[in-house]
Amino acid sequence: MNLKLYKTYFIKFQSLIALFVICLLISLLSDKFLTVSNGWNVMRQISVNVCISVGMTLIVLTAGIDLSVGSVLALCGAITAGLLSDGIGIMPVDLYIGFTLLGAILVGLFCGTFIGGFNGWVITRFNVPPFVATLAMLTIARGLTLLYTEGHPISGLGENFAYIGTGWLLGVPVPVWISALVVVAAVIITNKTRLGRYIYAIGGNESASRLSGINIGRVKIIVYAIAGGLAAIGGLMVTSRLDSAQPNAGVSYELDSIAAVVIGGASLSGGKGTILGTVLGAIIIGVLNNGLVLLNVSPFWQQVVKGMVILLAVIIDKSNAKSR
Amino acid sequence: MKILKYIIAAAALLFISYHSVYFEKLSDVRRAESGDNTDMEAYTRDFWENKLPLSMDKAIDIKDLVTRVKADPEETFAAYAHALGIGDLQYFMVKGEGQTTMIADNQVELLILGRDGNFKLRIETELVYGNSVRDASGLLNMNAFKNTSEFNEVSAGLNKIIRKEILPPFRKEVKEGDVVRFIGAVELNRRFLKLDDLEVTPVQLEIVK
Repeated sequence: MNLKLYKTYFIKFQSLIALFVICLLISLLSDKFLTVSNGWNVMRQISVNVCISVGMTLIVLTAGIDLSVGSVLALCGAITAGLLSDGIGIMPVDLYIGFTLLGAILVGLFCGTFIGGFNGWVITRFNVPPFVATLAMLTIARGLTLLYTEGHPISGLGENFAYIGTGWLLGVPVPVWISALVVVAAVIITNKTRLGRYIYAIGGNESASRLSGINIGRVKIIVYAIAGGLAAIGGLMVTSRLDSAQPNAGVSYELDSIAAVVIGGASLSGGKGTILGTVLGAIIIGVLNNGLVLLNVSPFWQQVVKGMVILLAVIIDKSNAKSR
Repeated sequence: MKILKYIIAAAALLFISYHSVYFEKLSDVRRAESGDNTDMEAYTRDFWENKLPLSMDKAIDIKDLVTRVKADPEETFAAYAHALGIGDLQYFMVKGEGQTTMIADNQVELLILGRDGNFKLRIETELVYGNSVRDASGLLNMNAFKNTSEFNEVSAGLNKIIRKEILPPFRKEVKEGDVVRFIGAVELNRRFLKLDDLEVTPVQLEIVK
């Protein structure tokens, strides 16, 4: 009886236990790990992944996937940086349209949301598998980024913009505040709103949801648009932290976010998962990345270890599901 | 009630738009920008002519560098390397003399007679990019510039001077077998030391015989 109880608790808190074990191991091997500055460093680093992963969770809950988030992040960051530093010049009428910080950020966020919504529209309107539609968008957005930036970084974006990625507010890094707000909003959406219930319902059984009157296409477009908007927020944070928009920013970020979602216990077939689980997944990946760097593990081995952890998480989750 | 909602939405949109964009004459903006660029070009030229020579005077002989790095890398990096961040890539201002063994489109290979064995290095003669010269000089502090773009313009300016003024006469004259005296910047990775494939971004090149 007791064994069964322990097993139930183990399954419930397995991600937390995994995080504890990883922290324990790294802190035993490196004295730099358990320090306040390194803690904030890890939190700052995972903020971008948390934002993207929250959007990815909403999509995965509807049994979809978005491979374009990394490219969308780069494009939105580049557009924001480009507008902020160069504005728009219209030669024939000798007009220069300059963008304030607010204006450039709003345009960047709008672009991300629009591209995400477009992904959702293509998926629902033409019945294209999300994997294929977003894979195409991955290439399109990366190409547009390279075209817009002409392959060069856009830098010199000013102190005010840099504050988003490097500033502190009430003793906490600004990116951590931003990702915390995103998490709180997403938790409210998934747990307290009709949209949240629809998202779980669609992922659980799409046919039944359609028969019960849910406008599946509309919900999916909204979910993909939210994910695009969150990728844009990630793009703003990355661009701000580096004080430059890099054309190759966000490469393979989609994999990190999918990993965070999976480690957080969400099912890729939809209907199962939580935002807080994903946050925990993102923290595990962030701590792992940080620990491997502190332990001077080669970047090549870091990728191998990360892949193995993801594989292990899925295997454990599958075996737990069977035993349930 | 519905009309009130539209009015509030339109007012909010107007307010945001007003605080998001501003308009100027394109020609005025271009004029101001070209003024800024001229300043940076003048700054870079001044740096090249008056400050970089101070760093060149302190350049370590490449043979000494190789010997010292092999013997005590930490000490050598602490004493001679320059870097802006905390990364493993560090830069040295080096000088030396070697015999030309190979001339390619984009580089010249020199044989250096080392203290504990000869070794070869490459002098870049075509693709000069990056920040090695600026960073190897150890004379510039990023915080002294308005932004990273301006700071990077110094590198771009130095690389341009090298491409336009240092490399063309050298490429025209150099032949296999020539002894070449050089001063330049070398990048070394502190963690993954690779001393058998050194690449020098030159700031001074002279064919001595």
